[in-house]
Amino acid sequence: MRGNGTNMTKISAKNVNVFYGSKQALFDVSLDIMDKEVTALIGPSGCGKSTFLRCLNRMNDVIDICKVEGSIKMDELELNSRKLDVVRLRENVGMVFQKPNPFPKTIYENVSYGPTIHGMAQSKSELDQIVEMSLKKAALWEEVKDRLDEIGTGLSGGQQQRLCIARAISVSPEVILMDEPCSALDPIATAQIEELIDDLKKEHTIVIVTHSMSQAARVSQKTGFFHLGKLIEFGDTEKIFKNPDNQQTQDYITGRFG
Amino acid sequence: MNEAKRKLLNKRYRAEANFKLFGQIAIGLALLFLAVFMYKIFSKGYTAFQKTWIVTEVHYDKELMLIETDNPSLEDLENADYYDIANKAMTRLDPSLPEEDDRQLIQMVAFTYEQEVKNHLLKNPSLLGKIVPIRLTASDDLDQVHKGNYPRDIPEEDRRVNDYQLKIYDMLNERGDILSKFNLSFFTNPDSREAELAGIASSFMGTVFSILVCLAFSFPIAVLAAIYLEEFAPKNKFTDFIEVNINNLAAVPSIVFGLLGLGVLLAVFNLPRSTPLVGGITLSLMTLPTIIIAARASLKAVPPSIREAALAMGASNMQTTMHHTVPLSMPGTLSGTIIGLAQALGETAPLILIGMVAFVNTIPGTPVDPAASLPVQIYIWSESAERGFVEKVSACIMVLLGFLILMNLAAQIIRHKFERKWN
Repeated sequence: MRGNGTNMTKISAKNVNVFYGSKQALFDVSLDIMDKEVTALIGPSGCGKSTFLRCLNRMNDVIDICKVEGSIKMDELELNSRKLDVVRLRENVGMVFQKPNPFPKTIYENVSYGPTIHGMAQSKSELDQIVEMSLKKAALWEEVKDRLDEIGTGLSGGQQQRLCIARAISVSPEVILMDEPCSALDPIATAQIEELIDDLKKEHTIVIVTHSMSQAARVSQKTGFFHLGKLIEFGDTEKIFKNPDNQQTQDYITGRFG
Repeated sequence: MNEAKRKLLNKRYRAEANFKLFGQIAIGLALLFLAVFMYKIFSKGYTAFQKTWIVTEVHYDKELMLIETDNPSLEDLENADYYDIANKAMTRLDPSLPEEDDRQLIQMVAFTYEQEVKNHLLKNPSLLGKIVPIRLTASDDLDQVHKGNYPRDIPEEDRRVNDYQLKIYDMLNERGDILSKFNLSFFTNPDSREAELAGIASSFMGTVFSILVCLAFSFPIAVLAAIYLEEFAPKNKFTDFIEVNINNLAAVPSIVFGLLGLGVLLAVFNLPRSTPLVGGITLSLMTLPTIIIAARASLKAVPPSIREAALAMGASNMQTTMHHTVPLSMPGTLSGTIIGLAQALGETAPLILIGMVAFVNTIPGTPVDPAASLPVQIYIWSESAERGFVEKVSACIMVLLGFLILMNLAAQIIRHKFERKWN
């Protein structure tokens, strides 16, 4: 799968250290995420890949004891700065979670929530349009167009996750973070989401954390392998999977540990 | 299977059977107590919902009423004298009775008989000059005799109803002139010194006003405190300290709050004594921690994934809380609130301290009018020596229990109807 990236760096992380209280979760992580590409982060459980992902939209702020050091730049904006307006940041960096978490509200309200709080639609018809566009991009429109006023949590797991993706792209973020988006889904729903990721990268930069190495190989252009809080190896997906430089990466990918 | 193993297995089965049996015994005992309690109250109280009337005839005689005009206006009727015709209405039951013994008959009806005679005419002015049947409220002693609550076989000098009155009663009863009807006045009358006239209207309204005041004070304060503590406050020693103290507040005996109401609301702020306003504020101190604890628990029960979803969409903390967390926690908060109010409903001690135990024979129209409350009314009536109040106490308990059951039912319905299943 070839990238259609612009070969421009979107996010550049330098020497990122993360601490939960006195426990260090990430050690000196530095990596560049390219614009309009899919970057996959793989590694065994507890390796820090989700922690790193949550640095990119400052979701770690929710955890009181979490402290982030180092520099993360998105374009020219320093993300790890006290002065950063996290509300503006999250408007630009959407997130899809491991477990589908639609709001217990209607399908329409789920998708229209972001545009509404960010004042993106001037009129009801404009809002309708955004909702329709987002659901179409998330490949959910055909399935739900006649029941937009039904509760989002009543959909199947795969549909719920696509609804969450529609919700995330409703505010046209530049970057979409996905934290193991398929781990709660069956293979068919997984395939749909993967197809969707391939489509979305035309307009969005995507960072995906995944446990499935085959998924990383299928959807991503760049892959980073984390182990025990360290970024062991980062590079083109093809290279990582076919000819990794590091023995640990080799062992993990071939299933010898992890 | 060897012998030891079989033994062990049998022992385990036996232990389970025994445990089940003990559980069933416990439930049986609880139900038995409840049944005895209910039977006691209902068997004593149901008669209070019946009222006894004596039917007689009254002659609206213009002369005796001292009306001089031919065409008296309503005002003339208002100012007329009803004493003689009311007395005559009673003495006509036994014309052979010497005049000096009139009181014997008059004591058989409530002391408001003159008023009742008057009201009857004011309602139908055309009855003037006619002899018409009228029903008068029986005295509480006769009422108790009619309901069979009064032993007739004790010596006459120990009885409040003498032999002559019993003879008249039996005669009237045989003629069908003793009526037993639904006791509407129990619900529409304020308290009275006379059992046959006493009703729960003033204490019922007092309770309603107290609960409304309590709700108005405690709900907003408690919900705001809970939201702040749960969603915004930093987690540190100071907030831990506050949490411990809220829990302590919930365990403080209610009479202490009564003293606080007396010392602060009445003595310092000079709020009107014996009013539902003061009662409600005092009760809200008790309800406050209950609602805070319920609201915090239901805020905690909202899964973090919903908060994360909203935050990740770029909602501010405030928006996340107001758009998502608080609406989702409302059913739990509301049912906790109703349970807190139901507790406040049955509270007696603090209300006695702030003076809501006073004898109130008016129906309060606002929260700043003096009033009693249902549990205090029970207390007041249970102290009365007259037999007529015994059934009133039970009846008042029934009304209070009905109120409580309704509120708990509402809490249950809210919980069931709006409870969300998190997947």
